Amino acid sequence: MKLEINGQPYEVESDGDTPLLWVIRDELGMTGTKYGCGLAQCGACSVMVDGEIVRSCVTPLDSVANRSITTIEAIQNDAIGRKVVAAWVQHQVPQCGYCQSGQVMAATALLKQNDKPTEDDIAAAMVNLCRCGTYNAIKAAVQDLSGQKV
Amino acid sequence: MKKLLLVLLLIIVVVGGGLLWFVNHKPGSPFETAGTLPLPSTEVLARGEAVARQADCVACHSLPDGKPYAGGLEMGTPLGAIFATNITPDKENGIGNYSLADFDRAVRHGVTPDGERLYPAMPYPSYVKMSDEDIRDLYAYFMHQVQPAAVANRASGIEWPMNMRWPLALWNAVFVPSGTYAQKPQQDAQWNRGAYLVQAAGHCGACHTPRSVTMNEKALDEGGSAFLSGALLDGWYAPSLRQDVNTGLGRWSEEDIFQFLKNGRNQHAVVFGSMAEAYNNSTQFMSDDDLKAIGHYLKSLPGDASRDGTPWVYAAAAPAQGQAGTRGTPGSATYAAKCGFCHGTDGRGRSPWIPPLAGSPASLIEHADSQINVTLNGSARVVTAGVPDAYRMPSFRQQLSDREIADVLTYVRSTWGNHGDHVTQQEVNALRQHTDPASSTPIILQMR
Repeated sequence: MKLEINGQPYEVESDGDTPLLWVIRDELGMTGTKYGCGLAQCGACSVMVDGEIVRSCVTPLDSVANRSITTIEAIQNDAIGRKVVAAWVQHQVPQCGYCQSGQVMAATALLKQNDKPTEDDIAAAMVNLCRCGTYNAIKAAVQDLSGQKV
Repeated sequence: MKKLLLVLLLIIVVVGGGLLWFVNHKPGSPFETAGTLPLPSTEVLARGEAVARQADCVACHSLPDGKPYAGGLEMGTPLGAIFATNITPDKENGIGNYSLADFDRAVRHGVTPDGERLYPAMPYPSYVKMSDEDIRDLYAYFMHQVQPAAVANRASGIEWPMNMRWPLALWNAVFVPSGTYAQKPQQDAQWNRGAYLVQAAGHCGACHTPRSVTMNEKALDEGGSAFLSGALLDGWYAPSLRQDVNTGLGRWSEEDIFQFLKNGRNQHAVVFGSMAEAYNNSTQFMSDDDLKAIGHYLKSLPGDASRDGTPWVYAAAAPAQGQAGTRGTPGSATYAAKCGFCHGTDGRGRSPWIPPLAGSPASLIEHADSQINVTLNGSARVVTAGVPDAYRMPSFRQQLSDREIADVLTYVRSTWGNHGDHVTQQEVNALRQHTDPASSTPIILQMR
């Protein structure tokens, strides 16, 4: 099956029902995207498909053939992604960091669709779990990016 | 006067005696004169195993972690619990001493070797239609292939006088058809094979046909419009298998039905609830020809537009909250956060791996039980050829309140053209209590 990840074409051998996460991590060796719960509950495995956030642990491979997949490895090639990473650094968001690649993907997808999210919009879109409790820092960084006073 | 009394007494004795004989007599079996049977060939054993799969004996006659066919599964009745029995060839606890005729009487007529009547939780009203050949092969499989298990049967929780079983003989006389499946010469061989599997060993109607107040299935073949028209039981709604466009199989092709029974999934749906067990233990093991025959037969059962309502048409949903700055309902926000990643913001799922909610019978039927139940408790693992699938509905019992589940299901049932009834907090709460595995009285299989 042919995939396009971070602008590169890949030919992968996994079956069509394989979760995209396993292909990215195990078959292609890109381990920036993390496995958390495997049930679409935590968001650690978030990647973008055609600019929309998906949870790769519940995304069957055959549903993303011939679509544009973006993982954390290429987030800085994206204009908005680059700003998100800068804000993450400025606000010193990560603690242990395990969930953060998913958080950055979620924030980037949100700002791509809505460059001025309200507090409610942020709460509704940033639903990834963080065991360290970096939620306040995440909210501050996204508000900063949307031009709101923190 | 004396003479009249004597005649009356005589009548009472004759009628009473006749009744006594009737409720205790053992029905005839074509195998009574079978005598000593030869050791079965491997072909016979393989056919017998196939029949055991078709009839899904293991579903009730085993516990999840117990030995196969050793019994023990609890079933609730309005009068108390009953327990499925040990049907391994163990001589003390199981059916090791059953002759072929004894076995036949138990399976097809619901009568033990002692002449006691079985409760119709055993689907003998369906099995009565099984052919002599299938019964003989099934017996060979149980006696020679199944491992004996020394597991004692549990006594039923039904107390005297309701535990007397002889009245069931009268129930049988009224509600149980007599004789094996009769071929319909006006239909082709595939149709007849499908009808045989659905009505006899498959006993699809045990879940999918509604029952009367007297607990019998309202119809046992295509002659009745209630046959396989959908029924509520065990906290799940078993949908119509007729050609109802919304709530049945009206939008499914024969190939779709074949794929569903063979692989547990197709473009419309994935097995869940009790059907996941039926798939894991039974339908995936049936031959392709048999599954195609079932699809062919089911496609011949007409739907009922007056019951089914306006045909569903997909309608795009308004964007969810958080996208493009729109403010949604509480239900749509929960959907976006908890459901949309798998079932899609468009409600179309990732078929055939993750089922669509748009247009699914569970989203269109008035009873929301299946959707409430699967949201609270998640779905069973779908296991194909020993390998569990990669996608599974998680349990939201701990994560979402009754209010949140009611809101999100109301959103699902009123979006993308769905027009199922709204879900109330009370409905969710009732099933939450009823299906709580930590409660002292969790839901158990109901013999209704």
